Amino acid sequence: MPAGAGAALWRKRSRRFRSGLLALLIGILFAFPFYWVIVTSFSSTNRVYQFPPDFLPGTEAHNYSRAWAGATWVRFFLNTLFIAGATVALVLVTSLLAGFALGVTRFKGRELVLFAVLSILMIPKVVLLIPDYVVLSKLHWLDTYWAQIVPWGASVFGIFLLRQFFNALPQELVEAAELDGASQMQFLRTIAMPLARPALVTIGLYIFIASWNSFLWPFIMTSSPHVQPIEVGLSTFFGTNGTDWTGLSAAVVFTTLPVMIVFMFAQRRLVEGASATTGATKG
Amino acid sequence: MTAVDAVVRPQRSSRRRAGRIGIRDGRFALLYLSPALIVFGVFTIGPALFVLYISLFDWNLLNSSLSTFTGLHNYRALGSSADFWHSIVASVYFVGCVVAGSTVFGLGIALLLSSRGLVRRVVRLAVLTPYFTPLVATSIVWVWIFNPQYGLLDSLLRMLHLPMVGWLQSTTWAMPAVIFYTLWHDLGFTVIIFLAGLATVSTDLREAARVDGARYRHEIRDVVLPQLTQTIVFVIVITTIDSLQAFTQIYTMTQGGPLQATTTTGFLLYQESFVFFHTGFGAAIAVVLFAVIALFTLLQLRVSRSRSQ
Repeated sequence: MPAGAGAALWRKRSRRFRSGLLALLIGILFAFPFYWVIVTSFSSTNRVYQFPPDFLPGTEAHNYSRAWAGATWVRFFLNTLFIAGATVALVLVTSLLAGFALGVTRFKGRELVLFAVLSILMIPKVVLLIPDYVVLSKLHWLDTYWAQIVPWGASVFGIFLLRQFFNALPQELVEAAELDGASQMQFLRTIAMPLARPALVTIGLYIFIASWNSFLWPFIMTSSPHVQPIEVGLSTFFGTNGTDWTGLSAAVVFTTLPVMIVFMFAQRRLVEGASATTGATKG
Repeated sequence: MTAVDAVVRPQRSSRRRAGRIGIRDGRFALLYLSPALIVFGVFTIGPALFVLYISLFDWNLLNSSLSTFTGLHNYRALGSSADFWHSIVASVYFVGCVVAGSTVFGLGIALLLSSRGLVRRVVRLAVLTPYFTPLVATSIVWVWIFNPQYGLLDSLLRMLHLPMVGWLQSTTWAMPAVIFYTLWHDLGFTVIIFLAGLATVSTDLREAARVDGARYRHEIRDVVLPQLTQTIVFVIVITTIDSLQAFTQIYTMTQGGPLQATTTTGFLLYQESFVFFHTGFGAAIAVVLFAVIALFTLLQLRVSRSRSQ
């Protein structure tokens, strides 16, 4: 029946159009705050306080220079880069070694160790604040870079992802390497690592973004601006310039831009990584 | 056994005799595991037990040798603390709304975005972006939007000739504002999980339902949802665990106020331990939170096990 089919097609099209429109509205709702902070950051103070509000960006660049001069941003950026970079390096090394042990080598109690590692996911971070504060103070690591790097130097997500990778590695590859007389470390360095690159990049990106965005931990464990990361710096800036909305908006823009750029370039990989976490906890 | 094996074997055993270690040999496994295990032991597993110990003391954070053992006193104090019970109510409010919102809107948005097309791809990116951007920075943006005098939302209310509500300065509206922000920031993650779940739903069944003339909502209710049960449970549990620990947005947007209206149990833990230095009391709160979260995790494991069997 062509008429019926036509009606069905029309209904399908109109539903697709309506849902597309709804999707667009949702997208605007999610993206709008980013637009709005840019608008505010380029507006003069008078313009920001006017009613009704102006939805187009102004041309006031002065907010940026004022906000930039208001804190030791360069130091915060360098601290963040250093902490994030060191954490990523440490996580990759610990995950690669542990993933190899759990995914390739055979030893008694392997399943038990894997289960123990996965059960670490059950320990909520907020619970660790008090005892880790005590541990770090005993180590004399409070208010240092160490306190922000080493405690995050191993990742269940990283170990699990690499174990899965090693587990899926063809046995022939391991055997061929054995035939060539490769040692375990040679195998890891020359064969496994290049193949594991996609997984390593995903882990690295996640750890990098997480340490760029981290706040609570460094907020508790450090007190000097010369070791603090960007978000703690921004929070302090917010505390002291809480009513300078144009300057604050500028600070929000320039502190968030780097992580935004990383996200835009790596979004597909990040999405795959997030989907993989479902598998990680589903067991 | 193949011919290749037969050739390979003698060679391998000769290597072994020469003291070579095979790649799958497990004798150094613990050595390889040790860097990760040391980090976990010192900073995660050890402290998780240590917090139990601390909760039994009147603990001195600045000089732990001045701590005195008080047994279960902190737990008794917790039971009779009005602040604690108030924070439980606030947590149930916050967690309940965030979990319900993440699940319902997350699934709804994922369904909207699961088909192909440029618009949907761009929208997906827009929905994901907040999740990967910092909580402090984006909270500040929303504090500005919620500003009671010049903020965008109150301006909109004024344009519509509605009363302005004051948002973060109102004991009634501060919590909804923080919840709204949290959903805005975190929905991206839930959407990714639901999109991954939807990708595993059998398209044959969906098409069969459509051919049988099922309406869209029936197709979703009768075909898609039953296949997504496990994903839904996962999302509920993971958002419960995360929102029980929410801190940064509360600290940035309201500092737990006004009048403790947004002081959840996780925020109270911070305040008691690091602002008032009631460390033992804070540790007792941590132990309670730990127990609740462990319960939820076990529940999730249980459900996903029984599903996969």
